[in-house]
Amino acid sequence: MPLPLPYFLVLGALMFAVGAWGALSRSNAVRVLMSIELMLNAVNINLVAFNRYLTPSELTGQIFSIFVITIAAAEAALGLAIVLMIARRRGAIDINKINTLRG
Amino acid sequence: MSLQVVAFAVLAALILYGSYKVVASPLITHSALFLALVLVSVAGVFLMLDAVFLAVVQVLVYAGAVMAVIIFAIMLSEQREIGGDPSAQRMGFGEELRRALRSRHWGLLPAAAAALLAVLAIAGIGRLGAPAAPGAASTSVADVGRALLTDYLVPFEIASAVLLAAVIGAIVLTAREGSDARDGGRS
Amino acid sequence: MPGSMWLIPVLPFAASAVLLFFGRRLGAVLGPLVGAAATGTSFVLSLLGLLALRGGAPAYHAQIRWAEVGDLSIRMGFMFDKLEAAVVTMVTFASFFIQLYAMGYMRGDAKYNRFFTIVSLFTAGMLTTVMADNLLLFTLGWEIMGFASFSLIGHWFEKIENAWAAFKAFVTTRIGDLGLMAAMFLLAAQAGTLQFDGIFEAVEGAAGAWWVTLAALFLFWAAVGKSAQLPLHVWLPDAMAGPTPVSALIHAATMVAAGVFLVARNYALFEASGTALDVVAWVGGVTLLFAAVVAVLQEDIKKVLAYSTMSQLGYMMMALGVGGYAAGVFHVVTHGYFKALLFLGAGSVIHALHHEQNMHRMGGLFRRMPVTAVTFIIGMLALAGIPPFAGYYSKDEILLAAYEANSALFWIGSVGALLTAFYMTRAVVLTFFGRPRDKHVFEHAHESPAVMTVPLLALAVPSLLYGLLAPQLLGQPVHQWLAFGGHAAHHEPSSFVMAVATGVAVAGILLGAVVFGVVPAASRKAVISALRPLYTVIKNKFYFDELYQAVFVRGTRALAGVAGVVDRYVIDGLVNGAAALTVFIGSQTRRLTNGFAQAYMLVLVGGVVLGIIVFQAIGG
Repeated sequence: MPLPLPYFLVLGALMFAVGAWGALSRSNAVRVLMSIELMLNAVNINLVAFNRYLTPSELTGQIFSIFVITIAAAEAALGLAIVLMIARRRGAIDINKINTLRG
Repeated sequence: MSLQVVAFAVLAALILYGSYKVVASPLITHSALFLALVLVSVAGVFLMLDAVFLAVVQVLVYAGAVMAVIIFAIMLSEQREIGGDPSAQRMGFGEELRRALRSRHWGLLPAAAAALLAVLAIAGIGRLGAPAAPGAASTSVADVGRALLTDYLVPFEIASAVLLAAVIGAIVLTAREGSDARDGGRS
Repeated sequence: MPGSMWLIPVLPFAASAVLLFFGRRLGAVLGPLVGAAATGTSFVLSLLGLLALRGGAPAYHAQIRWAEVGDLSIRMGFMFDKLEAAVVTMVTFASFFIQLYAMGYMRGDAKYNRFFTIVSLFTAGMLTTVMADNLLLFTLGWEIMGFASFSLIGHWFEKIENAWAAFKAFVTTRIGDLGLMAAMFLLAAQAGTLQFDGIFEAVEGAAGAWWVTLAALFLFWAAVGKSAQLPLHVWLPDAMAGPTPVSALIHAATMVAAGVFLVARNYALFEASGTALDVVAWVGGVTLLFAAVVAVLQEDIKKVLAYSTMSQLGYMMMALGVGGYAAGVFHVVTHGYFKALLFLGAGSVIHALHHEQNMHRMGGLFRRMPVTAVTFIIGMLALAGIPPFAGYYSKDEILLAAYEANSALFWIGSVGALLTAFYMTRAVVLTFFGRPRDKHVFEHAHESPAVMTVPLLALAVPSLLYGLLAPQLLGQPVHQWLAFGGHAAHHEPSSFVMAVATGVAVAGILLGAVVFGVVPAASRKAVISALRPLYTVIKNKFYFDELYQAVFVRGTRALAGVAGVVDRYVIDGLVNGAAALTVFIGSQTRRLTNGFAQAYMLVLVGGVVLGIIVFQAIGG
């Protein structure tokens, strides 16, 4: 007997919330990036679950997830490169000290 | 209690505990390892949802490539946290909460926002009504490949261009500093 | 008919542009010659057009589409018919010689090039006004003239009086121009077009309608401003602050006549409204008498001519008002020639006397500057209306038209003619005859150079012969050439009118010669002191300036004071309050933009939460 859809959705929602909390509250840039990965994975779970339950004969959700993973990989590469550069320039990656976007 | 329920419960527990530890672990290296655990567990969830190809990709790309990049970043940024956070004693949830309350900028706000988000999402799920019964799984790796190279060819190509740009960007960002630096050859 | 008639107004425009950009590089001789050459070419073109019309060619009319606004289609075009031919030849002829003359008169002036640039621009504006086939293009030319007049009156703006005179002229004519705007709106709404032929077609079916009269009166108000008729006449005497060639061109021959031309151009409108025609006739009549009276006591030679111009414009208006369409337009043309001549002559005198304009300090100049004196006298005889000078023919026609329409206006015109001859004789006698009253001024007097006397001679020719030879030039009698709407309103020549016209002119000249040539100055003073109150009133130009100063200037200032208080405390308060509020909100909200990426993320999450709540509340 297959599991009901809400199981997966609730799992995704909780995982997303944990990721959001981490992204919002941590001061370590690497950790923030990892939290964002969590959020992306939560979204992927949702996408695949909906795909499986609502349109099982099509692949839209899975394809979407593949693209999300692609973008996540690119984001990780770039984000971490930026973190590295900041670490070299400032000796720290505490994003509470990085406010060059200030208006 | 079917095998599926057990499997789901184990995976969900691993994912949620791992996620919490990613955020709350005092050591950044531990965080990274917990992240790897979470990513592999998510691959398991994908398997339960008959998304075989995606599960493989998840392990290869996330648990393999992305994790490697993250660990490299942690090593190369020479964080003091590696050797232990300055305030690096192990913290329980209560200590975490206390620290959040004392935090200079936001206090409990991030946690509250995240919790609200979860509550609202679950409330929304509760109102979805009767969950649709899953149909017969009809997808295979071959189907995914076919879809990617026919219907989704253009996004596929664009994604490859994005990846290429990201790789070049990462190289440029990290290499410039190294080649300009006096000691040279650092990257 | 040459196909390039549209070049007539365009050439002076082009010349003006060339002078604007390259005037200094072209130098003091070549620069003005560019302008003169453009005007001269326009003159030749207009002459060719006139001859073609004489040969029976159809009227020239070319237009382009300019803009579509709703149902209102605005076209731009130039036309060249008999009315335009008569006026355009005069304008280009006078403008050409005045530009030549100015090369001598303005020599060494610091703003030499600016002067010629604006004169060319003015000529273009006048020609556009005359040849426009719709009210909008007409207005365009009209406003260009207004601007050119303003900047040329204020040519020597270093002297503050001149700048104020320019300002006064501009504002006063602007008050008139409001009428043109109002008429344009009214006609666009009621007739649905601004094309002259379209307007006239619409008017034909609506004779006596309220809007016809109203539009005609609006147009006439504009004409009153431009042609310095009562009560908007106050700017013209002050406009004499400009260089004399400007007075000759703008404030005698052309621009002020444009008001008369406006009435003539829209004559169908005025005819469809009998009331408007009566107003035109009476305003013209009153103005001509008023200006003639004031002119008698002026001491500045240019002011005499200014009031004389005003008076002659009154004649033209009166002629149009009493149905003498041909007479009025004909007087525009002849007056353009001889009044330009008179101003240039006066300019020659002023130039010779190093900018002395007071006639009481002149005298005996005939021997010193014979060419100027002779041509000036020709102009004076033409103005006085002595046969066979040009002015006689047109003034005779006017009096004839007035005689048949309204005997009161006829007698006003006759008295005006007497006064005209009288004050012009006074000017001639005081300037050129008698003993030199100021030795110092007299010693330095000399005949002007050829560049100034040749234009005088050239303008003397039409002043002398235009009336006599116009039928030969046009190939038909003037009243047929200028027949309005196909029917030549010909008035039977009346020997009585002719006798009165000639008689008052001769009488005026004789009276003037006796009073100012024979009677000793002491007796004149005695007469003046006997009539002291009358003298004072006339000398002060019936106190129009003082009245306007008291009513309009002070009134406006008081109003402005009230408005100023409202502006400072109410409007500014609102504006500053809004600004302060914005600054406050900005200073508060800028805290959100603190540069911390996580803060932005938090706001984002908050937005998502809010979005979900709203979505569920609505969608649920």
